[in-house]
Amino acid sequence: MPKRVLIVDDAIFMRNMIKDIFSGSGFEVVGEAANGLEAVEKYRELKPDLTTMDIVMPFKSGIEATREIVKQDARAVVVMCSALGQESLVMEAIEAGASDFIVKPFKSEDVLSVVKKVLGDA
Amino acid sequence: MDLQKYLSLFVAEAGEHLAGYGRDLVQLEQAARDGGAVQGTIDSLFRHAHSVKGMAASMQLEGIGALAHKAEDLVDVFRKDPARLDGEAVDVLLAAGDALQAMVEAAASGAKPPADPALVARLVEAARRSRERCVQPAQPAKEPARAAADGAAEGAATGREPAKGAGGSGAAAAPAPPEPDPGTARRGAEAPQARTLRRVQLDVEIAASCPIPAVRAFLVVKKLAALGTVARSVPSVEELRAGRVPGKKLQVLLETSEPLRSVERALGQISDLAGVALGEAAPERPAAGPAPAAAAREARSAEPARTVRVKTELLDTFLDAVGELILATARIREVGRSLPAAQRPLLDEGVDRLGAIVKDLHDKVMAVRMTPLALVTEQLPRAARDIARKVNKQVEVEIHGAEIEIDRAILEELSDPLLHVLRNAIDHGVEAPHLRLLAGKPATGRVTLQARRERDRVIVEISDDGKGMDATRLRAAAVARGALTEEQAAALSEREALLLCCLPGVSTAEAVTDLSGRGVGMDAVKRAIEGLGGTLEIESARGAGSRFTFRLPLTVAVQPVLLVRVGEEVLGLPIAKVHGAAQVELSRLDRSRGGPVLPYGGDLVPVHDLTRLLGFAAAPAKDERAVVVAEADAGRIGLAVDALLGQQDAVLKALGSPLEDVPGLSAVTVLGNGRPVFILDVQRLVAA
Amino acid sequence: MAELASEAAATRPGERTGDAPARHVVFRVAGERYALPLEAVREVVPPQPPFARVPRASEAVRGVMNLRGRVVAVVDLAALVGLAPQPLAEGVGHVVILDQDRRTLGFLVGAVAGVEPLAPPAEGGAGLVRGVTAARAGAVTVLGAAALMDAAVALFGGR
Repeated sequence: MPKRVLIVDDAIFMRNMIKDIFSGSGFEVVGEAANGLEAVEKYRELKPDLTTMDIVMPFKSGIEATREIVKQDARAVVVMCSALGQESLVMEAIEAGASDFIVKPFKSEDVLSVVKKVLGDA
Repeated sequence: MDLQKYLSLFVAEAGEHLAGYGRDLVQLEQAARDGGAVQGTIDSLFRHAHSVKGMAASMQLEGIGALAHKAEDLVDVFRKDPARLDGEAVDVLLAAGDALQAMVEAAASGAKPPADPALVARLVEAARRSRERCVQPAQPAKEPARAAADGAAEGAATGREPAKGAGGSGAAAAPAPPEPDPGTARRGAEAPQARTLRRVQLDVEIAASCPIPAVRAFLVVKKLAALGTVARSVPSVEELRAGRVPGKKLQVLLETSEPLRSVERALGQISDLAGVALGEAAPERPAAGPAPAAAAREARSAEPARTVRVKTELLDTFLDAVGELILATARIREVGRSLPAAQRPLLDEGVDRLGAIVKDLHDKVMAVRMTPLALVTEQLPRAARDIARKVNKQVEVEIHGAEIEIDRAILEELSDPLLHVLRNAIDHGVEAPHLRLLAGKPATGRVTLQARRERDRVIVEISDDGKGMDATRLRAAAVARGALTEEQAAALSEREALLLCCLPGVSTAEAVTDLSGRGVGMDAVKRAIEGLGGTLEIESARGAGSRFTFRLPLTVAVQPVLLVRVGEEVLGLPIAKVHGAAQVELSRLDRSRGGPVLPYGGDLVPVHDLTRLLGFAAAPAKDERAVVVAEADAGRIGLAVDALLGQQDAVLKALGSPLEDVPGLSAVTVLGNGRPVFILDVQRLVAA
Repeated sequence: MAELASEAAATRPGERTGDAPARHVVFRVAGERYALPLEAVREVVPPQPPFARVPRASEAVRGVMNLRGRVVAVVDLAALVGLAPQPLAEGVGHVVILDQDRRTLGFLVGAVAGVEPLAPPAEGGAGLVRGVTAARAGAVTVLGAAALMDAAVALFGGR
């Protein structure tokens, strides 16, 4: 049973890149969202095993979205996608309930290793 | 190179370090007697010896260098484990300090004193003996002379027991329960075992390859906190928030009712940990834990401040050199991709290590570049007086937080925006004295600059107690200029409307004075602040005054950029300004006002050909293009490019003269293959 | 070219004003012989690809290159003295780096003949062209470094 993934990022190319990393690695990308508002809705609808979350997005930030998702579902696994220089935002996201984070630019092995670990599959 | 001219500087600074070295040793002895904290003092002692060694080496004073080196080696043994410090070691270190001082004095008169071989031998022997002592499993029999020092060191080392179990020197242990050392096991047995609160001591080492180790450590602390109470964390959560995690090591004392296995499992789900050692700590060790850390911090802050003057250009060359190292590392990484898979892990491991070291070096160079804000704020009171006199007003300027430090490169760019905002505050914020009296305010206006540090940002606020800004008029001015439609203007919030003063040509000044109010300037301020990776906010209350807030990064941080290709050229767009992207056939887009428009997020976004905006001769482009949707002041715009090359973290460099005169450029970076790439200023690109 | 740089560094302090022959870097541009005072020259390097074009700048701005971590714009010297343009490419010609008033620019030239002492030109003009003087291999045109810099910087101000 492949793990179901929701990808949240406002940049299409980032979503595509992350999708490519997951596809063919035993994951199923079940949905995408381009901002925090959509992310919360899609999460409620899809109940994915894993959500990758960009931090800076329009309408609602990834931090806010994470906070709401974790409030909805305490077992939600949200992995933040951050860039260097966003350290304090990542810490905020962790306080909001994020399970882990990856730092751009990332290698696909790193992404997979982080999410497998955080899902307890490693 | 003529080293003579540096000699007096060397003598003075080496003297300072040796004085500190002596002070630290005395303090260590004292701590040994009174049972105070030693770790901070040992660290300081190490730095002093290390500095003298380095300085002597660059002065080609080999004798001093050699002796300082041996002293450093000896201190290093204690740095890793203060429990190994004894009275004999302090004696030989004191002797070395005296000898070094005498040698520095001899060097001052032109001599090149050799190191005393007997003293060198004593240092080496002491280091060897101290190193060996730790291999013995049981506590060595204490000689009366050492007992005091040992006692104190033990106090400081309390709670670090498992570190010893894990090798003490930071050797990574697998995330399996370590063999408890006899001491821990014994104490563990004394502890009430079942169904009570356990005190679990954890030593965690963050992987060298982790780019943001402080965040990783923060995550570890938060995950542990979910299992119980974090009684102590070194570094503390506050230090982690500030990005500090020396040596990438974290120690946590956790009080939990969960079994050790659960703690292990939780840690097992965290990536990027090079080593985890955990064991149960003694149940009753009140105060012994936090106190040494606090005392060590105190000791550090009590250390007298020392400064060395370095030419700022030299700092720039350091940064350039580190930038080159980052590039070279990336290049090696790229070359490695073409190696057969079997050989790659070894190379990757080496490159990861190199990368981590270079990152560390980058951090250090950045730290050296930090300069107090005072450098630019101290000109403001004088400037304010001149401006006020010109417009017949009375103004007092107050400055708080000028001691806050920020990267020199940011500081240099801050001078003009600060002056501009100050000028605006006096020229159109503060009222003429008679009007102020009428409004029930003191005749003299007040402009306050308040700087503070907030996590990894520096906040600079410039507020005045003048008449405030009129958002309604700003809306009207923006509509009059055609920058916004009336509906758009009406939909803006108060804060957004105030930012309209940053649109070129929009101003609320009633009279255009020769100082400001011509609608130029605030756009430059906003651009400058954003160019530094910062943001500008404006608040205002009618009759009560305005406040301009700059939120600035501490350092010229690495910024993520989107790389695009037009023709043969590669250009970068700040990700912060990029909203999204789409693949389109240009000829199929609707047209409006003579140009194509892209339907995007419910809006129609005007699409510009980036090749043409850049003034590059357009080769006949394919009809199918990628369009990057970017944020400009007056709304989103589309930039048609030939290809999206992906996102990258770029070390931004200032353009410098004369490239900074080119409109539409904000910075330049160099890619892994050595190619220089301009970072575009989207706003100026379409405005120019 | 390393020796050029070190000589330049050694002679830089102090402005040369007297009539004594000053050391100059002599080079060719589109077949013509030119010279720049050595004290104004930071170094002479081969063009370092890859180059990036400078948006909205004059055609005479050939591009920027990465010089040991510094990004330096390269201007075709031929364009400034009214000669046919020279291409900026790997292995073709040299780039003379000038450093003045915190401005750094590279100037694309052809072959570099070397460093030699030159008597000040008889005419003594103050602009871009200081005048013509005799060198080992015949007459050379001596250029003024500051004026050259100013002329080049003007190429960047947008259109």
